[in-house]
Amino acid sequence: MSESLVEAALQPGADVSTTDDAPDFCRSCALASVCAMVGYGKPELSPLHGLMEHLGPYRPGETVFRQGDSFDAVFAVRSGLVKTRQLDSQGREHVLGFFLPGEVIGLDAIYPNRFPCDAVALDDSQFCRFPFPAMSALATHQPAVQRHLFRLISRQLGMAWVMVGDHSADERLAAFLVNLGERYAARGFPETHFRLCMSRSDIANYLSLAAETVSRTLTRFRAQSLIEIRGHVLHLCDTPRLRELGRKLLAA
Amino acid sequence: MSHAIEIPEFDPALIARYDVAGPRYTSYPTAPHFRADFDERALRAAIRASNEEPIPRPLSLYVHVPFCVSPCFYCGCNRIITRDVGKADRYLERLYREIELVAKLFDRDRQVTQLHFGGGTPNFLDLARMQELMDVLARHFSFGNGHGREFGIEIDPRFADAGYIRGLGELGFNRISVGIQDFDPAVQQAVNRIQSVAQTREVLESARASGFRSASVDLIYGLPRQTVEGFERTLDEVAALAPDRVAVYAYAHLPEMFKAQRQIKAGELPDPATRLALIGRALARLGEAGYAYVGMDHFARADDELVAAQRAGTLQRNFQGYSTHGECDIVGLGVSAIGRIGDSYSQSARDLTGYYAALDNGRLPVARGLSLDADDLVRREAIGQLMCHGELDMPAFGEQHQLVFAEYFAAELGRLRALAGDGLVTLDEHRIRVTPRGRLLLRIVAMCFDAYLGRASSPARFSRAI
Repeated sequence: MSESLVEAALQPGADVSTTDDAPDFCRSCALASVCAMVGYGKPELSPLHGLMEHLGPYRPGETVFRQGDSFDAVFAVRSGLVKTRQLDSQGREHVLGFFLPGEVIGLDAIYPNRFPCDAVALDDSQFCRFPFPAMSALATHQPAVQRHLFRLISRQLGMAWVMVGDHSADERLAAFLVNLGERYAARGFPETHFRLCMSRSDIANYLSLAAETVSRTLTRFRAQSLIEIRGHVLHLCDTPRLRELGRKLLAA
Repeated sequence: MSHAIEIPEFDPALIARYDVAGPRYTSYPTAPHFRADFDERALRAAIRASNEEPIPRPLSLYVHVPFCVSPCFYCGCNRIITRDVGKADRYLERLYREIELVAKLFDRDRQVTQLHFGGGTPNFLDLARMQELMDVLARHFSFGNGHGREFGIEIDPRFADAGYIRGLGELGFNRISVGIQDFDPAVQQAVNRIQSVAQTREVLESARASGFRSASVDLIYGLPRQTVEGFERTLDEVAALAPDRVAVYAYAHLPEMFKAQRQIKAGELPDPATRLALIGRALARLGEAGYAYVGMDHFARADDELVAAQRAGTLQRNFQGYSTHGECDIVGLGVSAIGRIGDSYSQSARDLTGYYAALDNGRLPVARGLSLDADDLVRREAIGQLMCHGELDMPAFGEQHQLVFAEYFAAELGRLRALAGDGLVTLDEHRIRVTPRGRLLLRIVAMCFDAYLGRASSPARFSRAI
């Protein structure tokens, strides 16, 4: 799972609202403070203007980077949804995580300098690309940037969400939904009302469940008034009970 | 909650004033707006996306049997007149190929909860062929254990006896829809459909005895030589037959579009005043007999599940009219069949040549369709709510679709205000309500939300509102 990035708050007085057409996005982005620190949006103030570039939109199914590509940048999701995945020697897919707007992909590639997974857009998605050499150069001059990057990386390590344990489908799915809600909330979106845009086979793959089990479990949650769901639109009706159900995984 | 259960008010002058051509909104956008660039690839993508919903919808299968033994002159359906059962076998061969191709695109946990055979004349197929067709369907789709499933078939009673209906019951059918149109011999002769009350009764009684849960009959008003007296006798016969549902369709005389209708003498058609009197009598007589008016062409017994669904606010529009299974994806099978999968509509080739050519080359026979955009989806929902429940809660609708209703639909509300002036709807800040006066003019109300009407390039041709 990706980082939950509570340290997204802007530096006092920093002005990133002019950086692009989505100031709300920047306000909640995991890399917002990095942008703020380099004075992004005030190019005359910053020798490092041009550090970041906008990419996309990528269409659903398009790849942002591939497993084995040499690592040269990290990416903040500006809009859309991304999954990371690995393909095993038989070509079977293993979904590693989903990344929401404001979250950062590619941090796990710093060592060994190659991307360990593919990143695939699941929805129309846009990115801010931060070239890593420039970023690490920046980090050596700006201790605050360095601290921030270290926090993001260690956060992601700590979030390694072990799905191989002996957990029931109810526990896995409840934890998954509650975690998504928390991450949307951290980005300034509603916590209990969001689009579950990933496909059920990706959800199933990620949670190590059969696709039918994902649907059956959601149907049961709906019957128990834990959720409402219509197409991909999800409403968490009873987050406390869902959190209790997913307790073991959420605590991990 | 639905207020649509109110009895419609029949005002001939008002209805005559609004007697304009309009769609029946069994789909939105309506079929004339389907596009040829919706191809096999688009259909496969729509099916794939439907499999990937968190809880994929159950399936409703529509199977089209295009053959009829003899032509009814009023018919505007896609059908082929023949007595040659060999034609049916060549058709079934391709239909089985289509079933095999299409079924494997759907995930196996998607159960078929509804099945409908339409035509043409589905009972053109004898029991042995029916058995085979049902076996093929059951082999390729997931039919489940049968609990709560709804398997319906349209029957022409002139070509079905009690034994046949019993056989269908054994195959799992539990709903029957029987064409009557009119029992008046003069009308039957004029439309080339001679069908006795006794034949009709045999089929309906046999269906009941064979465990069918529901029977419906179709009538048509506006047919040649139809008189108020004759139609009243038909309505009395229908009340005595006591079907669960009755549909009363308006005959649309479009001989330039439907070749069979050229056999009908325009001079024998009832005049507008008689047409109004006919539908007026149908409303009155069916009401007396205990039928509730569901909307559009449809009546149902007060204890029928359609009426219950309307009360509960769960009724949906579909290609057969109204349905309690609106949550399904509809898979159209057979020539000219229309499907509704996820946010798409698709229709198969309308001629056997095109249908056979596609399947003989291993391709899905889709000829046209549409991927609905966000605006289409919002309008489909609004039209559906008005058609099914006769009212729309604007703030709730706006919240659900993340729009400000009064802004998004400013022009539409303007059009509705004009209808409100005639008493068809009432409007306040929260609610659009169709009044009892407006209930017979539902499609006029729905047309206010149709973004495809009035466009210069509009290819659509529709029958009259009443």
